[in-house]
Amino acid sequence: MIKKGILIVLRLFVAAIMAGAGYLKLTSGAAEIAIFSELGMEPQGRMIIGLLEVASGLLLLSPHVATGALLTVGIMCGAIIAHATVIGPSPGGDGGLQMAMLALVLTSSIVLLLVSRRDLPLVGHTLVDSDKMRG
Amino acid sequence: MNGSPSQQADVRYLDTRLSINLDRLATTTNAGLFVALFASAALGVLVSFYFHFLTVALLFLNLLNFYWMRVQKTHTLLANYGLLAQIRYIVESVGPEFRQYLFASDTEERPFSRNERAEVYRKAKGIDSSAAFGTQYDPSPGFITLRHSMFPTPVEERVPYQVTFGEENASKAPYRITKPIMISAMSYGALGPTAVRALARGAKRAGIPMNTGEGGYPKYHLMEGCDLIFQMGTAKFGVRTPEGLLDEDKLAELAGHEAVRMIEVKFSQGAKPGKGGLLPKEKISREIAELRGVSMGSDVVSPPYHSECKDVPSTVAFIRRVQEISGLPVGFKMCVGRLSEFEALIREMKSQQVFPDFVTIDGAEGGTGAAPKSFMDGVGVPIFEAMLSVRKILDDEGVTDRFKLLASGRLIDARRQLIAMSLGAAACYSARGFMLALGCIQALQCNQNTCPVGITTHEPHLTRGLDVESKSIRVANYADALTHDHEELLAAMGKRHPKELSPECVHVPRLVRFES
Repeated sequence: MIKKGILIVLRLFVAAIMAGAGYLKLTSGAAEIAIFSELGMEPQGRMIIGLLEVASGLLLLSPHVATGALLTVGIMCGAIIAHATVIGPSPGGDGGLQMAMLALVLTSSIVLLLVSRRDLPLVGHTLVDSDKMRG
Repeated sequence: MNGSPSQQADVRYLDTRLSINLDRLATTTNAGLFVALFASAALGVLVSFYFHFLTVALLFLNLLNFYWMRVQKTHTLLANYGLLAQIRYIVESVGPEFRQYLFASDTEERPFSRNERAEVYRKAKGIDSSAAFGTQYDPSPGFITLRHSMFPTPVEERVPYQVTFGEENASKAPYRITKPIMISAMSYGALGPTAVRALARGAKRAGIPMNTGEGGYPKYHLMEGCDLIFQMGTAKFGVRTPEGLLDEDKLAELAGHEAVRMIEVKFSQGAKPGKGGLLPKEKISREIAELRGVSMGSDVVSPPYHSECKDVPSTVAFIRRVQEISGLPVGFKMCVGRLSEFEALIREMKSQQVFPDFVTIDGAEGGTGAAPKSFMDGVGVPIFEAMLSVRKILDDEGVTDRFKLLASGRLIDARRQLIAMSLGAAACYSARGFMLALGCIQALQCNQNTCPVGITTHEPHLTRGLDVESKSIRVANYADALTHDHEELLAAMGKRHPKELSPECVHVPRLVRFES
């Protein structure tokens, strides 16, 4: 019961962050434009990532939690790569706020992904031990 | 190649054939995936950040591969070869479809070959079923045919088919059928709602009765107004007390229903003789749980026998009891096992002077929605041999005329049906024949709630495509076309009514011997 509640909170939290971040990218927020210019992906890359973020936010609220979580983990991995190779740990001197947020969302989405891995399309059933064989 | 050493020195052996070493291919692929991850990351840094889309995808793929090869312990192939091993499973999973579409010959699939299925489809669609060039079956040992007469019955001498159940016991509510085929027992549960309604409406159109199967109160069967034979399974769904015994009030109430014309007590079923009915939990909806009085979430397994029927005398007494409570013609269905037991049952009937109104013999080749494989393949007597043995026992005991015999078990065409009738059946049951008429493609998923043609499933998105009205016409067409075939074959055999048939009308091939 408590576990269920925590998972729902995690879902809502990650979904809100992802949808919000996607919204900022799609509506051409100044900070986003700056980051994606630095990455050399302006504006197509920003639009693609923005759409993927909105999609993962919606998926997390739908029954397809596993897919949404997988997408989120993927986007977060991309973000880590961006920080590690191009942007640096505290862009604009935010004292690592973005990195902390990133770590929080990544951890939450990994938890969600692990819990719901059985529902992943195509490969989900291979990731859980089938405790009982049915004939 | 065992030439002398000097010859070997002269001839240099050069292997020019190419071959694929799957073992090495898999190893290379797995290593390649790992290398590709870093290559993509490097390209992302050096060329364009867009490469990191690929980097992330490869990261996931490598993690998955690691899990399959190092963590899971269930599949050896996956552990040894990783990703590429999945190709085997993927191809294997579409094997049944490929075999059915492309590779299986028209006569080899089981339980029904493409030829047999196509014949039902043609009948159901009302298409002329003549064919060309001769039979595709091997007229070899095992393929039984009908013996025709030199003097076929003239058209004006043909007698319309009719059989009355209950006449031998002076039943208060005798039931007359006018076509030799009936829809065999399929419960709501085994079948989905639209399939039951299409069959019931088709039965109504064709004027044939339909057996309800052992699925409890026949809510959907009753919707279309066709005649019903209520089947009482060993769990007595629909007429059971909480202890699993017969609830007399419920039975009386059900028998009082206008559409319910006969009662069939199921002792055993050809596909799983000695085992009770089985409804997998995947197929138990809230409604089914209510109609049967069972809980959801676990398989429903009926007991292998009726609690009231402990031995031969109590079995006969139970039949009498059901006759008295229902006031309808009552029969029982069984797959023949040991003949001595059947003989004892008949003798007990004689001594108690209690006879059922009909007995349904189900062949071991009969169909099922779900049964253990070992029972499906390994238990029971096939229909023709069972009919022959039963008929002999009835003749020996002098009770052949005391009740009607019905036959079931893979009887989807007129040939097999008339063989059964030559061996003593008054009429034939078919279930899978009518399922084929509904559009069954023999996907063999009846126990999984995933029937692609919406017949044996309760998934709304699968039953959606099964249109009750148009399929009911096919069901009726099939019944009518079978009846027509029966009339034609009977006339060719020089008979006017199936009652005149005898085992002599059947040709059972034996190994041909050329000496006199």
